[in-house]
Amino acid sequence: MLVLSALIMATLTAPEEIGTNPQSMVWLLPIAAAITVIYKATKLETIEANVFFKEVVALFGSIVVFLIIVALALYAFTWLVIE
Amino acid sequence: MPKRLSGNHVLYLIIVGLLGWFLPGGGYFFLNEKKRAIIIFVTIALTFFIGLYVGSIGVIDPIGAKPWYMAQIINSPLVALLGHLTAGGGYPVYGRPCEIGQIYTGVAGLLNLLCIVNAVYLAHTGRIGTSGN
Repeated sequence: MLVLSALIMATLTAPEEIGTNPQSMVWLLPIAAAITVIYKATKLETIEANVFFKEVVALFGSIVVFLIIVALALYAFTWLVIE
Repeated sequence: MPKRLSGNHVLYLIIVGLLGWFLPGGGYFFLNEKKRAIIIFVTIALTFFIGLYVGSIGVIDPIGAKPWYMAQIINSPLVALLGHLTAGGGYPVYGRPCEIGQIYTGVAGLLNLLCIVNAVYLAHTGRIGTSGN
């Protein structure tokens, strides 16, 4: 157990390499999923697997679609300013 | 469903809140909302550990990044132990990994705050033990 704990700790002592590129935006997906799951876990009256899953997928989808729309709008705005 | 402490409702609410702070989902578990508690524990723990994996334990910085630390410590008091380890500046982290690590660990803490408040509210209103088992 001590060795396992030491191994886990060792993996957490050095940061991963993540560049400042468009691909790094994918990191918003896990956090959006976490926010969605927690929000639905606190708001739903009863927790039933299929209902919970549907609600989570619907909210997660709407968050991602909204973020894409905002990103496209900002991209269009900067393109208009620069060009 | 655990019985309320008669005449000591405030203490009961404090216990629910503290359990939720010591272990994410602990407040709900005490209220017999086991499914909810497990979902919350797994999600918050995973989000927090993704943050530590990406940015290392250096993202918990009680001196250089105090506002983030205040959000991170809501995950659990155990975060203070990590803060004690990193306070000397032995785990430097910069740039994008630091940013993403701080966001993940900080948001995990704020999500736990939401869960603590909600568990205390449920305990206060008494709408507990009817679901999530």
